[in-house]
Amino acid sequence: MNRALRRISIAVLVMFILLLVNVNYLQGFAPASLASKPNNARAFEAQFQYQRGNIVTADGVTIAESKPSNDEFKYKRYYPYGPMYAPVTGYDTLYSQTGIEKAKDSLLSGSDSALTVRNVIDLLTGKQRKGANVTLTINSKAQAAAYNALVALGKPGAVVALNPKTGAILAMASYPSYDPNVLAAHDGAKLNRADRQLLTDKAQPLLNRALEGTYPPGSTFKIVTSSALFTQSPNTTVNTNVDSPTQLTLPQTTHVLHNDLGEACGNGSGQTPLIVAFAQSCDTTFAKIGMQLGAPALNDMAEKFGMNDPNLTVPLPVAQSDYVMPPSQALTAFSAIGQFSDTVTPLQEAMFAAAIANGGTLMKPYLVQQVTASDLSTVQTTSQAVLSQAVSSPVASNVGQMMLAVVQQPEGTAFAFRQSVTGIAIAGKTGTAETGQVSLNDAAFTCFAPYGNPDIAVGVIIQGGGYGASAAAPIAVQVIKAYQTALGNQ
Amino acid sequence: MLVFAFALIVFAMANVGFSLKGRLPSGVAEYLVAYLVIIGAAHLAMRRFAPWADPLLLPLATLLNGLGIVMMYRLAAQVNPARGVPAISASQAALQIAFSAIGIGGFIAVLALIREPRVLQRYTYTLGAVGIFLFALPALLPASISEVNGAKIQIRFGSFTTIQPEEFAKLALAAAFAGYLVAKRDVLALAGRRVLGLDLPRARDLGPILLAWAASLLLLVFESDIGTSAVFMGLFVAMLYIATSRTSWLLLGFLMFVAGAVAASKLVGHVGERFDIWLHPFTTVNAQGNSYQLIQGLYGMASGGLLGRGLGGGQPYITPLVQSDLIISGFGEELGLAGVMAILLIYGLIVQRGLRAAMSVKDPYSKLLAGGLSFMLALQVFVIVGGVTRLIPLTGITTPFLSQGGSSLVASWMLIAILARISDSARRPPPRPIQEEGLTQVVTLK
Repeated sequence: MNRALRRISIAVLVMFILLLVNVNYLQGFAPASLASKPNNARAFEAQFQYQRGNIVTADGVTIAESKPSNDEFKYKRYYPYGPMYAPVTGYDTLYSQTGIEKAKDSLLSGSDSALTVRNVIDLLTGKQRKGANVTLTINSKAQAAAYNALVALGKPGAVVALNPKTGAILAMASYPSYDPNVLAAHDGAKLNRADRQLLTDKAQPLLNRALEGTYPPGSTFKIVTSSALFTQSPNTTVNTNVDSPTQLTLPQTTHVLHNDLGEACGNGSGQTPLIVAFAQSCDTTFAKIGMQLGAPALNDMAEKFGMNDPNLTVPLPVAQSDYVMPPSQALTAFSAIGQFSDTVTPLQEAMFAAAIANGGTLMKPYLVQQVTASDLSTVQTTSQAVLSQAVSSPVASNVGQMMLAVVQQPEGTAFAFRQSVTGIAIAGKTGTAETGQVSLNDAAFTCFAPYGNPDIAVGVIIQGGGYGASAAAPIAVQVIKAYQTALGNQ
Repeated sequence: MLVFAFALIVFAMANVGFSLKGRLPSGVAEYLVAYLVIIGAAHLAMRRFAPWADPLLLPLATLLNGLGIVMMYRLAAQVNPARGVPAISASQAALQIAFSAIGIGGFIAVLALIREPRVLQRYTYTLGAVGIFLFALPALLPASISEVNGAKIQIRFGSFTTIQPEEFAKLALAAAFAGYLVAKRDVLALAGRRVLGLDLPRARDLGPILLAWAASLLLLVFESDIGTSAVFMGLFVAMLYIATSRTSWLLLGFLMFVAGAVAASKLVGHVGERFDIWLHPFTTVNAQGNSYQLIQGLYGMASGGLLGRGLGGGQPYITPLVQSDLIISGFGEELGLAGVMAILLIYGLIVQRGLRAAMSVKDPYSKLLAGGLSFMLALQVFVIVGGVTRLIPLTGITTPFLSQGGSSLVASWMLIAILARISDSARRPPPRPIQEEGLTQVVTLK
């Protein structure tokens, strides 16, 4: 019997070894993968037990911080500026995150592998673990100007400002917005109520229009059409005469295209210098140019400006701006003037101007300047990257001249914002897109300034804003002015 | 050693108090004094009734029981913020002390009444009948007083107290098996044919194993209690093997259990669901529903990591049933890998001391009983800890000494008492031989 008992002992030993090995795996190796499971309440709540890193603008304004809290969690997230920075920071609730809070979560929470060594040192030296701070490229003055201008207008829309030379995002505002502080509540019931209210709000305050909203670009797309023209026919100059009929019957249709109010283009002779047609934003001229260039050429150029790219992140994900291949010549004409199925994000709108401002080189937009650990050592720095060479330098110079004419020439659609009025040489393009949905059209404006040595490019889209020049352009001008003041240029 | 075990419990209790309330909470002293008194009684009883018993058994059991009380106290002392109430009430935690007292009463009673393990052999068939009756009782009673969480394993008295008769049935049946097998082991071991290198038993000797198999299937089907069924089957097969030393019994028993379990998993929804939870716990449907409990336990243990979050520092209240079936996940969360390994090693030591007693005792009945009970304890720990840590499908059985609940605690203490009794008779020095006549007696004169 003892032989059997000894064998039973061995079986027992094997059972306990299995248990010990399994427990070692579970508690020694599996925690990291289990902590990342979406429904792991403990792992999620754990991040409220120590201080999360701050989110700071490029000019040192703290826009998200963790303050000591006196409920079951040690810290509570606090957003000093509320809705103004909501599209940038996003929110950090008990259950979910958005914006930078989500994109840089592992660094902000301190769980990133890049911080492991520091965390161990903190543990050994008895210091409280603290997440890394994220410094953004946002300029607080430009951001405030953008958001306040949107609030003053009171229509849904968004503004994005870029540094054309680097791709740094200087401002990113969306309206209507929401106060992320209500979502930082630790009371589950309160949080659910606030969340439901925001989700069901018809005004869609949670939508970050700057990156996630797509709207027809309208005439701002003529930047792409012109770029394609200059690229395809290098002999074309801004003063080359082009066909500018007052009315244009589209091929294979009875549809007659005319300019906004049926007015003549240029002097009405049917031939106008390109720069005049661009400044006046003649639809007939560019519809005709578009048909001559053909859809593939337009598509190619649109993609060089960053459209049709589903994978762009800044590091927040950006919705794809679409140039859909038109199935007919008539629709190619529409697509050349930013109608048909063309849609762009406000960021894309800013990228049009940024590429032209930077001599045709489109820089990859980015929002995070650098990440610093709690001991102020740098953990990550975003390096600038070229997204694409949209056009050659001479083409960019030509298109830039025409964009300047939009603002500086009396026939230009944005003449109201000429240098003698604003004090800054702005080059831009207005867009007024027929949406076919609301009585008022979407207003768009893309611009850069100062002409000659640009340091800011702005894209604005206002839903139902009407004319680009009257609804969108004033907001862009305010952002430019605020940024120039902040730089000390004015 | 007993003092050391008690000191550990005092320390753990104080740790809970400081961690949750920032000071030594009131009521802790009463808990500790009460526990000290009953442990002291157990110690004195062992000195009196079983002086040669293995000295490790009582301290190890004391430590486990004490840790269980600490965890009950800890769970009752912290409110679950999502529900507004603690995982168990303060009176339930206090009840655990009362059950410990009853358990140690059972321990003392077994030591005092059973002075010689072989006495039990006389009652083989009586114990067998009692065991089967206790097993079958909840299945026969209406669901209103016997069903809990889909398993019919309890008898409810009033609104508060329940008894799980199976905990006692296992002990009674172990004793009955031992008696039966000691009587029949020669015929079971020697008769039969040899096929493919295995000694197959005769058909008529298959009777008892078929009976045990039927009983465990009955458990599975009528009481939906897979865990106990597995422990029960394992106990019986292990005892058959110890008695006969024939591998064919092991294989036969194992195959029959697997066949029964597979059939049940197809036919009985409750059983099939267990397998699904085990294999696919993280699918969206399961994670929100059937496997919620399992994965919350896993998350808890994962959050404990190597060293744990400290007693009172974790959130064990998130895990459903953390006070009973999933208590090991509570320990894993707060004491970490180190604590769980320590607890497993304590169980391992108890089992090892039991098997050691089985090997050294001379009487075959005691050998069989000690071996069977030790193996049953090991198997029970394996089934529940393996279930909670997803080594095997999770089935709801108690964790000996740690889980909330009186029946398991009392039965576990009785099991320790039987092991102590057998180890006592194994280690007792032989009686001094009576002086033989004819030898010269040396008388010292002053």
